Amino acid sequence: ACDDGEMVIKFSHVTNTDKHPKGIAASLLEERVNAEMNGKACMEVFPNSTLYNDNKVLEAMLQGDVQLAAPSLSKFETFTKQFRIFDLPFMFANVEAVDTFQNSDAGQAMLDSMQKRGLQGLEFWHNGMKQMSASKPLITPADASGLKFRVQPSDVLVAQMEAIGGSPQKMAFSEVYGALQQGVVDGQENTWSNIFGKKFFEVQDGITETNHGIIDYLVVTSVDWLDSLDADVRDQFLTILDEVTQVRNAESTQTNEAAKADIIAAGGEIRQLTDEQRQAWIDAMKPVWTKFEGDVGKENIEAAQKANAMVN
Amino acid sequence: MEIALLFGMVIGLMLIGVPIAMSLGLSSILFLLWFSDSSMASIAQTLFEAFEGHFTLLAIPFFILASSFMSTGGVAQRIIRFSIACVGHFRGGLAIAGVFACMMFAALSGSSPATVVAIGTIVIAAMKQAGYTKEFAAGVICNAGTLGILIPPSIVMVVYAAAVEVSVGRMFLAGVIPGLMAGLMLMIAIYVMARIKDMPAGEFAGFGEIFAAFRDAAWGLLLIVIIMIGIYGIPGVTGAIFTPTEAAAVASMYAFFVACFIYRDMGPLRTKDGERLALYQNPKAIVTAFFHKDTRQTLFDAGKLTVTLMFVIANALILKHVLTDEQIPQKLTQMLLDAGFGPVMFLVIVNIILLIGGQFMEPSGLLVIVAPLVFPIAIELGIDPIHLGIIMVVNMEIGMITPPVGLNLFVTSGVANMPMMAVVKAALPFLAVLFVFLIMVTYIPAISTFLPNLVMGPELIVN
Amino acid sequence: MTEDRSFFDTIEETIISVLLGLMTILTFANVVARYVFNSNILWALELTVFMFAWLVLLGASYAVKKTAHLGVDAILNLVSPATRRILGLMAAFACVSFAFLMFKGAWDYWANFANLPQTEGRWFPLGFEESFRGKGWYEVNDIPVPEAMKFLEGLLNDGDEYEKMPRAVPYMVLPLSMGLLLFRTLQVTWKIYTGEKDMLIVSHEAEEAVEEAAQQAKGT
Ligand code: NA
Ligand code: NA
Repeated sequence: ACDDGEMVIKFSHVTNTDKHPKGIAASLLEERVNAEMNGKACMEVFPNSTLYNDNKVLEAMLQGDVQLAAPSLSKFETFTKQFRIFDLPFMFANVEAVDTFQNSDAGQAMLDSMQKRGLQGLEFWHNGMKQMSASKPLITPADASGLKFRVQPSDVLVAQMEAIGGSPQKMAFSEVYGALQQGVVDGQENTWSNIFGKKFFEVQDGITETNHGIIDYLVVTSVDWLDSLDADVRDQFLTILDEVTQVRNAESTQTNEAAKADIIAAGGEIRQLTDEQRQAWIDAMKPVWTKFEGDVGKENIEAAQKANAMVN
Repeated sequence: MEIALLFGMVIGLMLIGVPIAMSLGLSSILFLLWFSDSSMASIAQTLFEAFEGHFTLLAIPFFILASSFMSTGGVAQRIIRFSIACVGHFRGGLAIAGVFACMMFAALSGSSPATVVAIGTIVIAAMKQAGYTKEFAAGVICNAGTLGILIPPSIVMVVYAAAVEVSVGRMFLAGVIPGLMAGLMLMIAIYVMARIKDMPAGEFAGFGEIFAAFRDAAWGLLLIVIIMIGIYGIPGVTGAIFTPTEAAAVASMYAFFVACFIYRDMGPLRTKDGERLALYQNPKAIVTAFFHKDTRQTLFDAGKLTVTLMFVIANALILKHVLTDEQIPQKLTQMLLDAGFGPVMFLVIVNIILLIGGQFMEPSGLLVIVAPLVFPIAIELGIDPIHLGIIMVVNMEIGMITPPVGLNLFVTSGVANMPMMAVVKAALPFLAVLFVFLIMVTYIPAISTFLPNLVMGPELIVN
Repeated sequence: MTEDRSFFDTIEETIISVLLGLMTILTFANVVARYVFNSNILWALELTVFMFAWLVLLGASYAVKKTAHLGVDAILNLVSPATRRILGLMAAFACVSFAFLMFKGAWDYWANFANLPQTEGRWFPLGFEESFRGKGWYEVNDIPVPEAMKFLEGLLNDGDEYEKMPRAVPYMVLPLSMGLLLFRTLQVTWKIYTGEKDMLIVSHEAEEAVEEAAQQAKGT
């Protein structure tokens, strides 16, 4: 709990505190802020959407009711359509490429791109690459045709599922496990850690290692709040945040690999694709790029491709 | 200490006659203005979020609507006829049939008072005619009606699922065995009492009547099949077809269709003299049924009920938000764990809180407030969330038939046309049955968790 | 129903019925679309949820007018009529306070989405803020913006195109409904003061409902 006279930093997020890459990072940040900034600032973390869900947390931040959040990048598409680049299928080769892009000039410029809306991006937090799962084996894109896929609310992801002939569906997250199990929806896409954490592998035929997209988060705050801080407090806070980011981002690949191993150990079926098979998925999904090229900007796409080249 | 002030304020306001919803809302606002830095806008945001952020709550208006069409559409008396044909010839048969009918109607309707009104209106009068005392009849129906929220579908379960983010489908399955058990226990208690007091028995009308009554009630009972197969599918044949919310909407459409076009107890195919027209005699009914005054009235009644119930729930969610904002659940969890409570003591405390709370509060609103407070503790203590949910529902059932506030008491006193205190006394012997049942449900988790774990696998617990 | 229905009653009752009917049909249609046409009305869920919010929030003031809100009447039924009137006035004052504070909160929340100023002051509105960040650009998740609402682009979004409906539209119900609630609670306070009513909550409505059901049961 916070003492009198301490500035309260409320951090609202939507995952658990000890198993999810985001939750672990948030807990580490809380621990360090409360230890090192004791007397000046105090952080209260609200996990599991207990305070706000991803749809509301940014509204609340602009109102000044919460100071820190880390929604997935697709949540920022309402603020600036550039962020759609992170949802475009096969835009990034792997997490290193994502990291390289985010640290490039183009990526860093995106942190500031929402200032006129009142939001300041601080750091990107990694989760990992997305995989596809369904109630039947997915080897070619044609296998996905006619299936119902649960997607996050994003026009890009809707278009992506339609591009492979699937039917995108919305539903409450608490119902997804049951819906997959019972066939209200047939499939979904997620990172290894999310698939393991929510046990989706138990109720799917198998998971195909497509690495077709990414799930990443943006730690974000409000411009007004950040401006209101004393310079030394702000610097100390941002330094801690940066260090936590370095530590946790370096671990994220490991976290997902561990989750993948756990899925196999628990008897989940994981299917690999040959290069030709993967190419077929690329050919089926990549046309989506054209539709959103205007939104994300040619220069950003080029920077992303350059990042891919650099890590390969 | 602040939390005592908050709850004191809520109860104080309620007692002087402020509507429950506004007692919750006003107390939360004042608490926020005094103790927190959060903005007033966040209160309005939370009010809207009650709808926007909880897709599961959307099932509530649809289940209310389905139940309204079933009540006005003549399903209740067909179910009662079938019940009497089945068990009416036992000693105390009409009372047992009343319980059986309540169980069947409970499987169509998500609410307890609705079950009492639908079944009680007919059965209590019939029992008096057959020579039972009015008190006995009222006691039976008042208790059996509470099964409305235990046997799925159940509005209270939907609220619990939304408040702690568990699957509605799982909760519904968990209610099946306890619901059947509670019904059976009530029937046995009645049978024993009937033997001792030598109560009347009806005559067995033969298997022909059972069959005929079943055929007549089948259209209504088919709704149970639609809801259950819709949500769970048939193992090995088909997967599930809709989410619980969609199942509720489909149920409403089906109930409307049965009421207007098959039973024709309402709508354009029923003439002023009570005759039932065939569709070819009035083909434009296909369109006019949607706008017929009976349909409009049913929609309005269900809508009004939705408004009053959801306004309570929405304001309870504001209270929940304020509690979360002040990190009260965490503090409470820490306090109880530090005090060294184990699961057994903890469940006793939960039962006591709910039984007392049930004296003042409408069940759904109480659940919204209590569930997030006790849920984190339950998880820490390793209690299954689904089991906790069923315990809460059974507590709510008891709250409905104990004074001073019990929705079933009010409704029954209306149905039976007797003073509320008389109903309270009449309900007492059966209340004892429900208490025994509560203890069983509390300390035998398998009663609740066996079926959902069998069908859907073990509940995954995510902190 | 024994009371005569006024013109406004009819409007409010129609809104309640129509919203509930549309919600049901839309959800049903989405199921049909999924199984018969293997497609999905992607915005159906969000639109249904907004109609749900409008139904309940607008209905809340109707329920005040009709004394339909749930409450505890145990104490009110014990005390003398004079005491009941005093408690009634206290309760009414609490309801007015609730509606007033909610109205302020609802305005503050909605105003920014409509590029209007929030109020200053924590308890009481002490005027409007002078500088603020408009959020007129903020869109809902799924519902496309209908042609008829295109004019909002100039009004709220500096002429930029909306892909989805601006949030200002569904949220508008908040100040609207809470304003209505304030009006209705003031009205009922007056009625309690003049002795025309004695409480704010439903007391024997259950009995009336039962009578109605009994009438229907007899009629069939
Ligand atoms: Na039920
Ligand atoms: Na009670």
